[in-house]
Amino acid sequence: MNSVGNLLKLLGRARWIPSFLGVVLLWVVLSAITSRVSLQSLSGVLATASFLAIAALGQMFVITGGRGNIDLSIPNVLTLSAYASLIVVEGQNGRLLLGFATVLGIGLLIGSANAVLVCLFRIPAIIATLASGYVLATATLLANRWLVSAAVAPALKYVAAARLGGIPFMTLVAIAAVAAAALVLGRFVYGRTLSAVGQNRRAAALAGIDVTRVVASTFVISAVLAALDGWALGAYVGGAFPDMGTPYLLQSVGAVVLGGSLIMGGASTALGTLFGSILLVLIVTTMQIAGLPPGTQDIVQGVVVIAVLGLAGVKRSRAVPKNLPSPATP
Amino acid sequence: MATNAVSVRPRSEAMVSSAACMVEMRGITKAYGPTLANRAIDLLVPRGAVVGLVGGNGAGKSTLMRSLSGVEAPDAGSIAIDGRPVDLRIYDAGEAQRRGIRIVHQELSLCGNLTVAENFFLETPEAARPRPGWRRVYRARARAALDAVFPGNGIDVDRRIDDLPLGQRQMVEIARAAGAPGLMLLVLDEPTSSLDIERSRQLRTFIKERAAAGLAFIFISHKLNEIMDISTGIVVLRNGAVVWSGSTDISAAALVEAMGGPAENVLRSQHARVASRKTMVLRVSGDIVAPLGRNLEFFTGEIVGLAGLEGSGQKAFLHRIFAAARRKDAGVRLIGNASFVSGDRQREGIFAFWSVLANMDIARVAQRFALRPFRDASDEGATRDAAHRLRLDAERLASGILDLSGGNQQKALVGRALITDAATILLDDPTRGVDVGAKADFYTALARSAGVGRLMMWHSTEDAEFLECDRVLVFSRGRIIRELFRADLSEQAIVDASFAEMTTATNGMPSAAATTPTRRRWAETALATAPFISLVVVLAVLSFVNPTAASPFGLDLLLGPAVALVLVALAQMFAVSGSEIDLGIGAFAGFVNVLSATLLVERPLVGLAGIALAFMAYAGLGLLIQWRKIPAIVVTLGASFIWSGVGYTLQPTPGGSSPDWLTALFGWSIPGIPTMAVLILLAGLVAFALDRSPLGVVLRGFGNNAAALNRGGWSPTRYAIVRYLIVALFGTIAGLSLTAINTASDINAGGPFTLLSIASVVMGGCSLIGGRVASGGVVAGALTLSLIGAVLATVGVSTDYNAAVQGLLLLLVLILRSGLSTRTADQ
Repeated sequence: MNSVGNLLKLLGRARWIPSFLGVVLLWVVLSAITSRVSLQSLSGVLATASFLAIAALGQMFVITGGRGNIDLSIPNVLTLSAYASLIVVEGQNGRLLLGFATVLGIGLLIGSANAVLVCLFRIPAIIATLASGYVLATATLLANRWLVSAAVAPALKYVAAARLGGIPFMTLVAIAAVAAAALVLGRFVYGRTLSAVGQNRRAAALAGIDVTRVVASTFVISAVLAALDGWALGAYVGGAFPDMGTPYLLQSVGAVVLGGSLIMGGASTALGTLFGSILLVLIVTTMQIAGLPPGTQDIVQGVVVIAVLGLAGVKRSRAVPKNLPSPATP
Repeated sequence: MATNAVSVRPRSEAMVSSAACMVEMRGITKAYGPTLANRAIDLLVPRGAVVGLVGGNGAGKSTLMRSLSGVEAPDAGSIAIDGRPVDLRIYDAGEAQRRGIRIVHQELSLCGNLTVAENFFLETPEAARPRPGWRRVYRARARAALDAVFPGNGIDVDRRIDDLPLGQRQMVEIARAAGAPGLMLLVLDEPTSSLDIERSRQLRTFIKERAAAGLAFIFISHKLNEIMDISTGIVVLRNGAVVWSGSTDISAAALVEAMGGPAENVLRSQHARVASRKTMVLRVSGDIVAPLGRNLEFFTGEIVGLAGLEGSGQKAFLHRIFAAARRKDAGVRLIGNASFVSGDRQREGIFAFWSVLANMDIARVAQRFALRPFRDASDEGATRDAAHRLRLDAERLASGILDLSGGNQQKALVGRALITDAATILLDDPTRGVDVGAKADFYTALARSAGVGRLMMWHSTEDAEFLECDRVLVFSRGRIIRELFRADLSEQAIVDASFAEMTTATNGMPSAAATTPTRRRWAETALATAPFISLVVVLAVLSFVNPTAASPFGLDLLLGPAVALVLVALAQMFAVSGSEIDLGIGAFAGFVNVLSATLLVERPLVGLAGIALAFMAYAGLGLLIQWRKIPAIVVTLGASFIWSGVGYTLQPTPGGSSPDWLTALFGWSIPGIPTMAVLILLAGLVAFALDRSPLGVVLRGFGNNAAALNRGGWSPTRYAIVRYLIVALFGTIAGLSLTAINTASDINAGGPFTLLSIASVVMGGCSLIGGRVASGGVVAGALTLSLIGAVLATVGVSTDYNAAVQGLLLLLVLILRSGLSTRTADQ
């Protein structure tokens, strides 16, 4: 009885454990039943998961802010930034810094715009980012027309595809990003205040936290990470195409939820988001290996996200009072 | 926990024999976590009796009433109504109402988005029939009930509750329960808190008349004079148990003593404080002190009480001081920092995932630079010190905040403020629901902290607590009307001052009620007409650029692509009427499009089964959202992938054809009349009728005040399923229309409709939260958005810009509305 209680307590504190176990389990099962998975394919899974993890980390910050906040503009930011960097850099190593500045600028600009829409005009985050995503979609279409050549700067291409001891370089970048995010969430004042805002926004404001600034920052973080991710992804795949960001819409949310962070905010785990990303990519890869058509892959992803939400849902509702705005009387 | 000795012994176990009882509750026990809210309570309410139920905050009155009204089952005990025992396993709010038990809750349980008459319908839905004019019976019923209790009330039963001042809302609430057919026992929980003296007298007259006619009442009030005036018997609760019961021949002082009331000597004796050097830390001027005619200054070392009737502006004043710490406020000058302690722990205090230590620490942490590292243990010294002063067991600092009792949670929250460097501490009814022992610890800590150089601004709902203060400001209608100094302080003085202005008032509570509705109405009219005006503008531009567009044939051509959007937008509207958003509806329409152009053509039965399955899946989504309390937005986003995945599997590339019957259904024509316009009108009318029907009213009610509907016996699960079935219905017709009009299908055709449907709903004048929708506006909004594409095309803008224009338009509308709503909310 007591050991079960302790185990539950540990799971409550270390939210990443279930997703980690999921990764291990799925991997073991896969290697047992088919010879087509190998360390080689694991490396491919890791590379793909790394790109997802970086975008999902940004999503995680937004979700942690609570009130059902989600950033739906991530796929569009990612795609636009991939295009913009290609256009600016023109395949020359010498212009890489300019490319970096452009990508960073895109992230900061869009993140700030989202933050203004959500914090200043009080538009629900999902609607605001959905709409800004639409505007960005047009921008991407225009960029697609301007794009003359899809040449990636050789240096960037080399770095994006590099492997260190069999591990993709991007995975190391993702791990570094996860470590940084974990540090910020767990060991910095900012992470503490973000968790407070996500748990109970009114209480956070009355405890002296500048709620607006904290929530706004999450959208900037998300957009900047998505922009940088798009830059790297463009280099990795060697170009840009209009739909390159599309999988990140659901998967960024899925990775966060799968990783053990709460969809209603307040409690998140960067490590879990990493394992969630790997798990999700592993599921997709499995389906590809099994030869499932793309439609079925979409179905499975949708089912997985809804199932995980359904399983995680009640835990929260029992533990925490609703802190949604009460629309009843002013 | 210390249980104080009961000073007045229960005089008799039961006042009457159980045979004559309308309601008999025996041994009711209910625990919330470690707190025993009700312990073995017996309550007997005879026919024709008015039982006055009194007790301090947190004494267990509300818990007991929740058991009686079926909202929550007690852990132990039995209930019998009219001599017949109740099976507690199946006893719920609906069953309680069927047995003739109604309750007027302390927090208003009306739906602000519905009219007075519609709120009457929610209370007694039996008389509603799904046909036009069904409101008539409720209008009459509302009119009659209001006039019976409050003669000469002048309330328009067709007005929305949101547009009524607080006092009138409470009148509606009372009349609604009192006028219910088959009523046997009416529970009134603080019914007069927002009523002026005349209305309160009318209510008491009504109760006496009906009691004489055999009805039973339970009257809960903090106003002891009302209790003494009206009751035939009184029951006193304290710490969850009955400590006294008997007839009304008890003095008010004895009642107060039984409740655990003002241990005045205890309070005062704590009060010997070391006078430290006083510095001015707060200065208040302007409108709020106008009745006093002078500015007020506050010093460290002071405890200042904020008194007055509940809701007279004390809370607003505290929040204004708190805001002045960051934003300049001409009327409130604050020197140094301010900390806030709220008595509403759940909503304004605790962080449920954290330990006690982290909860106490957060205000200090919040003052630091965001990118500074910190460790949990860094503030432990100060925290332990504060915990010690509040007599909060240091062993418990590491445990989760929810493991603590309410009183200890509140100690932690007070500790949170005490360990900051704030010179001013703002206390918003901090002892609400806290037991007597914790209160004493709290008073001690308060006096000590003031003594070491802080200013305490203390709002309390218990007048006795003000005897602890150095001076007391009495509020009325948002202003400070009296300043009482220590020498003149007594409960009587505070009550007298609080009521001084109320006796001359005609209409209840302070509020800018007279001006708000007109302002709001103006804004609402603007919002309601905006979609129609923009539609006319777009049509005018189109027919100006291309005159053939105005012909029936031209209109038909233009409106063809709009049919599906109108239907999807109407589907979205029913989601929004529940304050939810469906991010999968566009993909769902696309899925039905594919299904009807492939399976339904080739194997009609399988196709029909597929559509039936999709309906079930949608109902399942509604069930899941309600049952697991997860955000609809994310669930429907996940579902959108399922819809498009299934659609893609059925038909990877665009193609297919339309079943003949479907084409015929959408393809008829009457000469001279654009078919598409008729279809759109038809869809709008169906949605309008549905939204205005009793069912639609309930659905909107859930969008506004789900908790109240739940308490009133409406099943959230059932209506969540019904809601999503309606959404699926409109989504399905949208998908079918796509097939019929395009005579082909494309799984990617549906996706864009999701954003457009939300944009249509917003442009149509619906609010995303609060359950206020308008079908006509939604149709106009959808048409406008759909035609904008045509306008862009005719003026030669590339279709690449369509997405951006639509996105920007949605943002523009939302920004404009946000501007309007903040302006009206500020009033």
